[in-house]
Amino acid sequence: MALRPRPPFWRDVRVLRWIFQMAVLAVVAAILAWLYSNYRTNVDRTRIPTDFKFLDRPSNFEIPGNAMSQTAPVRDALVQGLLNTLRVAVAGLILATVLGTLIGIGRLSRNAVVRTLCSVYVEIIRNIPLLVLLLFANLGLVLQVLPRLTEAWEPFGISVFSNRGIAIPWYVGSGWKLLAMIAISIVGTRLVIRWRNGVFDRTGSPARSGLWAGGVALAVLVVGWIAFGYSVTTPDVAERVTVGGIRLDPSFFALLVALVVYTSSHIAEIVRGSIQAVDRGQDEAAQALALSGFQRMWFVVLPQAFRVALPPIGNQYLNLIKNSSLGAAISYFELTNVTQIAVANSSPPVPAFALTLTVYLLISLVVSSLVNVWNRKLALVSR
Amino acid sequence: MNEITPLVRFRTWARRNLFRSWFDGIVTVTVGSAAIYLAFRLLNYALITGRWEVVSRNLKLLLVGRFPDDELSKVAIAISVLALWGGVITGLVITRQRRAGAYVERNVTRGRRVRELLGRFWPTLMAVAVLLSMSDSAGPWIAAGAIIVSAVLGRSLGVVGGTFLVTLPTPVKLLLGLVMAAVPVALMVLLASVLGWDDWGGFMINVLIAAAAIVLCFPLGVLLALGRASKLPLLKVACTAYIEIFRGSPLFVLLLLANNALEFFVPRSLAPGVVVRAVIVFTLFTAAYLAEIVRGGLQSVAPGQDEAAKALGLSPTRAMLLITMPQALRNVIPAQIGQFISLFKDVSLAGTAMGVFDLLNVGRTITKQPDFAGQRLDVESLAFVALLFWVGSYTMSRESQRLERKLGVGRR
Amino acid sequence: MYVLSLRCRSITLIAATVMALGACSDDDGDAATTTAAAATPASEVAGDTTPPAGERLAAVVAAGSVKCGTRDALPGFAVLDASGDHVGFDADFCRAVAAGVLGDATKVDFVDLETADRFTALQSGKVDVLIRNTTWTASRDGSEGATFLHPNFYDGQGMMVAADSGFAGIGDMTNAIICVAKGTTTEGNAAAASSRLDLNWEIRTFDDTDQIQAAFVAGQCDGWSSDTSQLTGLRTDYPDGADALTILPEVFSKEPLAPAVADGDTQWAQVVDWAIVATIQAEEFGITQANVDEMRDSSEDVGIKQFLGVAVTGEDGSSSTLDPGLGLPADFAYQIIKQVGNYGEIFERNLAPLGLERGVNALWTDGGLMYAPPYR
Repeated sequence: MALRPRPPFWRDVRVLRWIFQMAVLAVVAAILAWLYSNYRTNVDRTRIPTDFKFLDRPSNFEIPGNAMSQTAPVRDALVQGLLNTLRVAVAGLILATVLGTLIGIGRLSRNAVVRTLCSVYVEIIRNIPLLVLLLFANLGLVLQVLPRLTEAWEPFGISVFSNRGIAIPWYVGSGWKLLAMIAISIVGTRLVIRWRNGVFDRTGSPARSGLWAGGVALAVLVVGWIAFGYSVTTPDVAERVTVGGIRLDPSFFALLVALVVYTSSHIAEIVRGSIQAVDRGQDEAAQALALSGFQRMWFVVLPQAFRVALPPIGNQYLNLIKNSSLGAAISYFELTNVTQIAVANSSPPVPAFALTLTVYLLISLVVSSLVNVWNRKLALVSR
Repeated sequence: MNEITPLVRFRTWARRNLFRSWFDGIVTVTVGSAAIYLAFRLLNYALITGRWEVVSRNLKLLLVGRFPDDELSKVAIAISVLALWGGVITGLVITRQRRAGAYVERNVTRGRRVRELLGRFWPTLMAVAVLLSMSDSAGPWIAAGAIIVSAVLGRSLGVVGGTFLVTLPTPVKLLLGLVMAAVPVALMVLLASVLGWDDWGGFMINVLIAAAAIVLCFPLGVLLALGRASKLPLLKVACTAYIEIFRGSPLFVLLLLANNALEFFVPRSLAPGVVVRAVIVFTLFTAAYLAEIVRGGLQSVAPGQDEAAKALGLSPTRAMLLITMPQALRNVIPAQIGQFISLFKDVSLAGTAMGVFDLLNVGRTITKQPDFAGQRLDVESLAFVALLFWVGSYTMSRESQRLERKLGVGRR
Repeated sequence: MYVLSLRCRSITLIAATVMALGACSDDDGDAATTTAAAATPASEVAGDTTPPAGERLAAVVAAGSVKCGTRDALPGFAVLDASGDHVGFDADFCRAVAAGVLGDATKVDFVDLETADRFTALQSGKVDVLIRNTTWTASRDGSEGATFLHPNFYDGQGMMVAADSGFAGIGDMTNAIICVAKGTTTEGNAAAASSRLDLNWEIRTFDDTDQIQAAFVAGQCDGWSSDTSQLTGLRTDYPDGADALTILPEVFSKEPLAPAVADGDTQWAQVVDWAIVATIQAEEFGITQANVDEMRDSSEDVGIKQFLGVAVTGEDGSSSTLDPGLGLPADFAYQIIKQVGNYGEIFERNLAPLGLERGVNALWTDGGLMYAPPYR
């Protein structure tokens, strides 16, 4: 083939493509530069700091429930805010997943009453804005349903429900050691499961890996509990607050309830859809093997449904984490609220909020990459 | 020989669905009685114990905010025209489908048709009934009647016009299309001439912001999706960064920033009012989500379509515009409606974060009026707000499912 | 390829247009800079990004209205009346600024701000002036980019409790839950009082006073802490009646509430400052809304004449009005008094009905702190 002469550059696709991209970038850069120059003019005039030195200045406010004095730096306050965000997010993720899965399965139940109720729940909750649910939880549930401390409910004498918080029994001891104990017991159970499965493969005798794993986990926890000298306290009503146990802030409770209820309705839809996406033959084959209803669901259908459900459920997790910022609207001390308060207490708004947005972005990136990794793992297993 | 009476049929159904085993029976009885008790409490609350005066006295505030009383007829006219407009479009779509042979003519009786419509729109009818029962003048009744009549009228007009339209030359068609597109804008201008947008409130502002944002975010979202799917590296990076940054940020924080920190970046003379500001934030935010939806749609179109288009001599741009993109957009219509529904619900955030006088914000304000303050009416007011949001969003989601079935997405 | 190049061309065109637009708006935003730069060599301008003083005053006059950061739910200071207008002590000072600068007290755009957002709004330029029950502190002056002006109310933080709670003083309130508004000096003061007196308070913050009220009614809080003047107003507004609440006698902080403007525009700061000060001066002169016309026409006092912008005839027969060079119209004080009133009148109109006494907010001549610098 004869060598074709290169077209002149103004007709060369390769050149034009780059010119086009450069032009787009130039527009974007021009807009950003314009925004930045306006910002500079503004801060230079009022001499507001644009750096992050404010992180080292005293915060001048306290965060209830967190041991932080008002002389602690803003950095500590933001960290506490982040921890509170993670607290409500982690508790919310777990509860929403459990509740959502149960309701999703319930929508396919053969029992008409359960089926109808689950559908009604999903169709009502899914179509109401989260903020409305949150205000219901705060203004209705916490302020109107929960009693005053003097008339607190004390179910079984081990927890206290009042509008000053929900107090439940809690351990006394070091959190890090507890985490270490849990980590050890997780590693231990995994090792035991692998060993039992090996035994099963070699000898054919029943693995009973669940039983073994549970036993090991319990043993590690009990030994660690005794060794580290942990104990449990139960809450009691004192004059103005509860003592003992751990008290969940009423705003934490309201936010958690709203997030769980809202997210579970979305997860339920995803779970229902993905169960329906599992080939019917799977369930029928399991039935032919005489597995019970629970076994069919737990060992055969759900694992396959989960593969389909994971990406959209991952999106719901991200939404839940971002939605926890609504806690600021009911004065829960999560990251957004703490940033707002810090800004009101002499921290510069643009750097402070830029930092907060970056943190949310990082959380989103971490969670979505975890979901992706997990997803890839599931996909590999399927082959 | 057993005769199959309704009773027998019910017994069979009950045995299969309620009392399959003894465990099932217990579940049915306990859960069922709890549900009946709850439903009773709820009805009792809705009809007897609830103190709905706070809602009924503030009905106008909740629906149209501080719109002047003597101009309310303009709102009713605007909604009627909008209903007419929607009806005409539905009619046009039907004739088009008929001509293309895609419209399934169904021979249904009038009774069946009414029942079907009731099944689709009972939440809306219920909400209208609730609203009308609370109103104390004839105005709302007339408005409701006018809206229904103009919707029905519009549909028949569309069907007739659709057949007539084919005979018209292209420039006239284009002109008519422009006129149709201009109708909602003209209505908005008409209403804004009475009261500036920034002073609008109530449910009206929720609908306005959501509708404006979804229309505006559409071109941006499609461009971003094309950018992210393109082979041009810089463009791809820029679009991906935009999409991920907006999808990773909480909407609430973005709204807070837009409310208070926008003037850092934009001179005050150019900074828009609070409603326009909210629309911009929702547009930028939703565009990122829409881009991902459209990208999914682009991936769902079989590559053969694009290859065939190119084999026919279409340029890449034309192949995208004429072949791939229409199919991609059609495939993701339900997902787009889903996005619109969540946008519709998210507008409630603008009330808290930006002080837009939206439905939820009105609902929180009315409990503080001197006549109602301190009586703990928050639940009543929130329940009404939730009802309106629910009716809007539930109807839309049901219609989107219906559309999904009609389009047969995922079944080809 | 033809189509692609066409697209590229059109997009380049659009890009160029957008950039040009961007450049134009840039010029718009810094109109003053550009004009000033015209007179100075370019080399000098390059590093200088500070716009000259007076930009804000010119912008306000050009816009024809003052954007005043305030609130909508603080009885006595700023609330919405039945027709949706802002009324109250702070709202009246907003009007005084508008009357002084623009000659029309109605030319105010009230911008309701949440407590936690107010400084962001001031810094970003969303509002021209912040008159929103704001305490003057060193770090706010320093790092919030705010310039505080003459305080319009001297206040102190107090504690309100339920009348049947049995608390006689804050010393009784060990382990109490104290509710305060978010983003105020109140939070820090309460925390400091708690640790000073070893009371172990749990301080809960809320977005606005409505939320605190709801929480207080439900029994979530033992104490409600805020500036005493605010507490007085909130007490009259309490759903169970004012008698259900008691304000404890202790006052545990100094809260000079002052208007604030953004740093970096001295002229605007002075203009607002003198609008505030003029109300105090008027009271001192005994000029009221009712007698201001009479005073202007017939007063023989040179000080009063100059203050009201009346020409003073010198001993040599030449006649002149005093222009101190603030950038305000000569008759600004007259307009303020005529349209809004003097300090005492504003106080009587808005705060006296709540049961607040003048106290430290009396004129210095009556033993209070209100002292206006001389107008000459």
